[in-house]
Amino acid sequence: MKANWGLVLLPPLVFCMLLLFGSQWVFLRSSFFEDLGIGRLGTEFQLNNYLTVFADPFFFSALTLNFKLAAGVVVCTLLVAYPVAYTVARMRARWAIIFLSAIVVTSFVSIVIKVLGIIILFAADGPMVKTLKSLGILSERFAVIGTMPGVIIGLTHLAIAFMVMMLFSVIQTIPRSLEEAAEIHGAPRWRVFLRVIIPLSLPGVVSASLLLFNVIMGAFVSALLLGGGKIMTLPVVIQRTIMLYSEYGMAAALSAVLMLFVLTINILSVFLVTRMRAASSAVT
Amino acid sequence: MTEQNSTDLSVAASGKALRSVMNFNIGRRLRRIVAYSWVGIVYSFIFAPIIVVIGSSFDGGSVIAGRAVLQFPPSNLSLQWYWLIPPSMFQSLWVSVSMAAISAACGIVIGVPAALGIIRGKFYGKTLMGSLFRAPLQIPFIVIGLAFLQSYYFLGDVLGLHMRGTFTGLVLGHVFVATPYVVGAVGAQLQRFNPAYEEAALIHGANRWRTFYRVTMPIIMPGIYAGGLYAFLISFGDVTISLFLSGPDLSPLPVEIFYALDNDFEPTITAIASLVVVGSLIILYLIQRLVGMEVLLRGGGSN
Repeated sequence: MKANWGLVLLPPLVFCMLLLFGSQWVFLRSSFFEDLGIGRLGTEFQLNNYLTVFADPFFFSALTLNFKLAAGVVVCTLLVAYPVAYTVARMRARWAIIFLSAIVVTSFVSIVIKVLGIIILFAADGPMVKTLKSLGILSERFAVIGTMPGVIIGLTHLAIAFMVMMLFSVIQTIPRSLEEAAEIHGAPRWRVFLRVIIPLSLPGVVSASLLLFNVIMGAFVSALLLGGGKIMTLPVVIQRTIMLYSEYGMAAALSAVLMLFVLTINILSVFLVTRMRAASSAVT
Repeated sequence: MTEQNSTDLSVAASGKALRSVMNFNIGRRLRRIVAYSWVGIVYSFIFAPIIVVIGSSFDGGSVIAGRAVLQFPPSNLSLQWYWLIPPSMFQSLWVSVSMAAISAACGIVIGVPAALGIIRGKFYGKTLMGSLFRAPLQIPFIVIGLAFLQSYYFLGDVLGLHMRGTFTGLVLGHVFVATPYVVGAVGAQLQRFNPAYEEAALIHGANRWRTFYRVTMPIIMPGIYAGGLYAFLISFGDVTISLFLSGPDLSPLPVEIFYALDNDFEPTITAIASLVVVGSLIILYLIQRLVGMEVLLRGGGSN
């Protein structure tokens, strides 16, 4: 007698797919209808909302800003987080677990609480900013709310914890014996890094970076609170289009474009990583 | 290279080799100092905002240009913000806790059979099925919020069923994003174990239920804890989806804090935020004592 697990799968499958396809269908459908104001939608199927996304400089600049911000934050975060993840991954197991859990615990704290902390920490009249200003590291006009540096600080903070966690699990899979072998054969430390550690971690680094890129593309809370209505990233524009103007069709078209971006990056990630894995297994 | 090796080498080595080994050790120590300092700096950046929130909640505050301002490190210690937390904040906290608990429970009820079906089932397209269940994780939260909001309006128009601003509506949105974590955690647990254990129990005469309770359940239990914990915390910390689905009478705590930050800085939110952080730390610590650290380290975080 064998249990028929396929039957067990049916109720959750129906429920989850109803939520997934139902909600996606309703919102994608509305992106093809004109907004008539106060949340009403027209009845004629058209593509104007999508044309507006790319033709209207306001929407289009939100899209390009979002892209640049996400790409910049991911590259910076990668450079900052890689040595951290490497050092933690090469600690004694007990310490590595403690350092990793510490970061996992912070990822459970709600993003609004972290943004609140960033606002207090970087307050214009706070002790830290005052010191940095008197040392000439920060310009006299620095403010954390409503400025690009503020949004970058917020997004980087969101990204770094993620990146360290993901890179940790990547680097942990590289056997330490490979590094030792290279060192015994006389490779200096920098060459071990360049020729052993970085190539072996590359597929993981690429997929982690692209995943993080998607997270930052969709980051809404820090962009809105630290942007203070002045820095218009795509998620912020989507929320304003709904909450301020009740233009559901337009908001849906913007969301669809954001989704298209995210999906493309996902497919690219799978494609790149598969190719890299195939290439590296062909070599060995 | 281990310390032992380098000392062995240095004993046998000539003067030149000895010098190079010493250089190697100095370089190694220097590298260590640089690496650990960098870890320290980055970790301080990661922890600073949370520590600052808790620290400044004890600051008496000062009024600058007609606005209350908190400082970190606190200059005049005071507990006044804790006494001044408005009751509506505690109501929101209760909304958050009950919403997250029910979302996690629903996530488990839906996610466990889904994981069992995907891993143990025998049918074509299992990979596709897995990615379908993982799909909600790929959609940005803001898009999920908008999609659910519009679906609720649609249901209201078609069936007269008004879900926006209701507890059910909120929970449904969170169940959607929380279930994949349960499916993932339970699925990973199942994959580690050989289905032969279950077959062995069946062959030895245990009936299906007994096999499930005595063999399968103990196997997947750590996965249920981990998935349930993640589901709870995703729902508890979420702002974006709740922002779209909550109403004026029903807003979870993160949404309250969000509005408080968006409008004007209100010192009492540092107090309630500190309570939440410390409360979560205690719960995480208890869970870690009960079921082990491993549970915390599975899966990712929230955005």
